[in-house]
This record gives sequence, C-alpha cells and structure tokens, in this order.
Amino acid sequence: MNNEYIRINHISKKFGSEIVLKDLEAVLQKGEILGFLGPSGAGKTTTIKILTGQLKPTSGDAYILGIHVKNIDETIYEQIGIVTDQSGIYERLSVYDNLKYFAKILKVDQARIDELLQRVGLFDYKKKPAGKLSKGQTQRLILARAILHKPRVLFLDEPTSGLDPSTAVSIHRLLMELKNEGMAIFLTTHNMEEATKLCDHVALLNDGQIMEYGTPKELCLRYNKEKKYKVLLENGQEYVLDQSPENTQQIADWINENQVASIHSCEPTLERVFLTVTGRQLQ
Amino acid sequence: MKIIHMNKLGAVMEMKFRALFSKNFISMPIFALGFALVMKWVYGSIMSKEGISDELRVFVMSYSAIMNVTMSGIYSVSALMAEEKEKHTLRVLMTSSVNGLEFCLGSMIPVILVMISVNIMLVPLVGVSMSAAGWGAYIGVTVLSCVTSAMIGMIFGIFAKNQMSAGTITMPALLILMMIPMFSAFNQTLEKVSEVLFTGVLMQTISNVAGGTGQLVSIKSILVMIVEIVLAVGCFLMFYRKNGYDHD
Repeated sequence: MNNEYIRINHISKKFGSEIVLKDLEAVLQKGEILGFLGPSGAGKTTTIKILTGQLKPTSGDAYILGIHVKNIDETIYEQIGIVTDQSGIYERLSVYDNLKYFAKILKVDQARIDELLQRVGLFDYKKKPAGKLSKGQTQRLILARAILHKPRVLFLDEPTSGLDPSTAVSIHRLLMELKNEGMAIFLTTHNMEEATKLCDHVALLNDGQIMEYGTPKELCLRYNKEKKYKVLLENGQEYVLDQSPENTQQIADWINENQVASIHSCEPTLERVFLTVTGRQLQ
Repeated sequence: MKIIHMNKLGAVMEMKFRALFSKNFISMPIFALGFALVMKWVYGSIMSKEGISDELRVFVMSYSAIMNVTMSGIYSVSALMAEEKEKHTLRVLMTSSVNGLEFCLGSMIPVILVMISVNIMLVPLVGVSMSAAGWGAYIGVTVLSCVTSAMIGMIFGIFAKNQMSAGTITMPALLILMMIPMFSAFNQTLEKVSEVLFTGVLMQTISNVAGGTGQLVSIKSILVMIVEIVLAVGCFLMFYRKNGYDHD
C-alpha cells in the first residue's frame, strides 16, 4: 500500500503574467503533518487550491492519493477534507443540522455526528444556530465538518488564525490525534510556533518559492551557525556565550560551583530561520 | 456524463426548500397569491352587483401566474445561489463531492415545485373554471415555463456575487418577461414580441383555457417553449463551462 498521499513535482502557477508559484516540490506521507509556512501572499492557499482540484497548475505535476490533480473530479472530496478561511457554515441551521446536511451528502452514519461534536467540544451547543457561535466555536464546527467522513487527507489553511490561545491549543490537540490515527494533514500557517509544534516537515514559502524544506529541527540546526549558549546564574546574571574551549571551561566551573540556574542552547527558531532565508518577517 | 447521486440531490433539495421558505424568499410566491386575492377583491368590490366577470378572472390569473413564474423562478433561483456564494457555502458544497449537475437540479427542483403549486392554487383562488383538457394544457405550459424561468435564474446565479447583485442583474429580465405580456393587449408590437416569450405563451394559454374554446395551445406556442428551454439550457452550459458556479 502506497503511503505517499501527496506528491508535488515542480508545480508552477501563473495568473496572467504574475508568477504565484515557482517550481514547488514536496511530499506528504500517511500520518504526517506537512506545513507550508509563509507570509500572506506567499502562495499557500494557491497550493491548496491546486492540490484539491480547484485550480489547475500552469506546469508541473502533483498527485493526491495517487491521482494527478489534473484528473481529479468531485469523487476525490469523499477522501479529503478542506478547511479554509473561505469555509462557510449554514447560519440558519443548528450546529447539529449543519453536520447532518453533510452527513447525508457524504453518506456518513448520523451517529458519528454526536461523537464528533463531543470530540470538538461542541456537544453542548448542538442545538444552537450556527450563526450565533463564537469565532472559535465556528472554526471547530468547520473542522468537525471537514473530518466528518474520516478523510485520508485533511487540508487546513490557517486553521487557528485569529483564535484565542485555548481554542488554538484544543485544535492542535485534535490535529495531533488525527495524525496519530493515520490522517495526512497539509497545513498552511504563518504561525511558526504552531508549525514547530505540529509539523513533521515544513516548507518555508516566500513569493511562491520554497526557500527551505525539512523537519523543523533540521532547519533550525541548519541555520545554527553561531553556536551559542545562554546561561542564567543563581545571582541573576545572564550570559550569552559562544562555543569555545574557554567558555566551555567557564560553564563547567559555574556548574561545579553550583551557580547555574539554567542553561540553554541558542539555535534559531523557525521564524529566525525564515527571516535569515528571506529577509522578511512571517507575521 | 455526470452521475446523479440521490443522497446528494436530496440533501441539496432539502436545504434549498428550507432556504426558500425563509423570510428572504417566501415573499415571492406569496406576493403572486396575494396579488390575485387583492385584485379579485378590488374588482369584486367595483362590480358588486354583477360580480367579477370571467374576463377579469382570466386577467387576474394570468398576471398573477406570470409574476409567480418570473419572480419566484428567476429571482429566487439566482438569489439562492448568490446567497451560497456570499456565505461561502457554495465552495464548501462543491468540495464535499456534490457535482455541478446535482447542485443545478437540487437548486431548481424545489423552486419549480413551489411555482407549479402556486400556479395550481391560483385556479381555485381566482375562481377560473377549467375542463380536464384545459387543466392538462395549463399544467403542461406552467411546467415548461417554470423550468425555463428557473434555468434563466441559474444563468443569472452564475454572475451574481451576492443577493443584492442578484436583485439588480435579474431586474431587466424580470421587467421584459413580465411587462411585455402584461401590456401586449395595448400595442401590436408588444403583442408580437409576447408571442415569442414563454411568459406570453403562458398568458395566452390561460386565456384559451379559461375561454374553453378553440385550440388550447398552438403548435407555435409549443415550439416557442421548446426553443426557449433549449436556449436557456445552452446558455447555462456555455456560461457554466466558462465560469463554473463560483470561479476564482
């Protein structure tokens, strides 16, 4: 059984003369989260639209569940789920009826609706009109609808953008559970903490081009040129020290004298890596 | 050729029925019924002694039927689609394995059923008497008119970005399809034009059926209906292939 759920081979996309994606390459395996990290306008949403058959690439090939994106039809949506900032809800319907509608379309047993509502924390609001939900609750409803039919691949476009931290954490927890159940997740975000926490692989996207690709740890270590350590002593003094024989001896002395309160390596964060690679901020 | 899945068609139809009976849309068929009641009452009051004549009953019924077919068909279908675009649910639906044909039929069938029901209700409401053959001709022409009208509504729906623009862009078509048959009795040119409009054919059929004499529906009228349905479907397919329902 092929566990490669998405393969992107040299995909490019032009709108008129404007190039929005340049020669993208990436792979998403079963049970993995692949993050496309970049600022607004970097081409993240366009990539999702190409992979879900809503846009055709100008050149290159991409495969989703073994099917070329140029050949996919609506049946692919029985195996994938999509959450974007353009995902709407039927505001007149209750939370439960919103899911019931899609359960009918996707031939899902209605017993799953309650199970799913429990899982996303909306069970107590099942009779509430969807138009009266808070932003966080709406996003959880949209997510519940996207995973209603247990898709093999889930596309998430900025799923926690504008949400409060506790809702974001609950969504992160759910995504990790889904990943552990074998779902492949394609995530776009400009939140580097989210990407570091969730993603198995990340692609740093800038102006439609992948600038770096790898695991978050690999990328951070790759740009850890000046190896430094941050030492906090018991007396409150803080030192940032380069890696050198003298400094190593100094740190050893402090440890022997029981003066060290904390010691950290100073490898860059993904945001720092992004800034180094592109010269621009993510937010 | 697209396959129609009954579960998906049924779900879309159910949702459209719910939307159609919401306050935004139910006013259209109610307006036609209300117009018939008010006009019947007004004429009844004016002619209190002899009562409302058959001729006036036909007049009231044809105006109400045309209003129903144009306003409910063209406006409601296009505005229902525009509402889905405005609320971003159309894209969700199309990425939930509903195909274009299922969405098209699911959007049109509820509106067509409501329009047909209203046109049938108009007969006892206005008090027009019809023979069995008359009923057959009336229902046949009503069905064809409703299908054409709903199809035209789908064409406008492709271009309407929101409910307000649906109202704006359908207005010229509503005026042409309603006003020309309504004023055809006062002007020969309008009469000629009315003969080649499906709303004009509907109006003529009501007049023939209520009169109970002569041919109920002419071959020419049937041809007009068929040509206009084919034209509406052709235009819809052309625009749909070019733009989809909600293009980027």
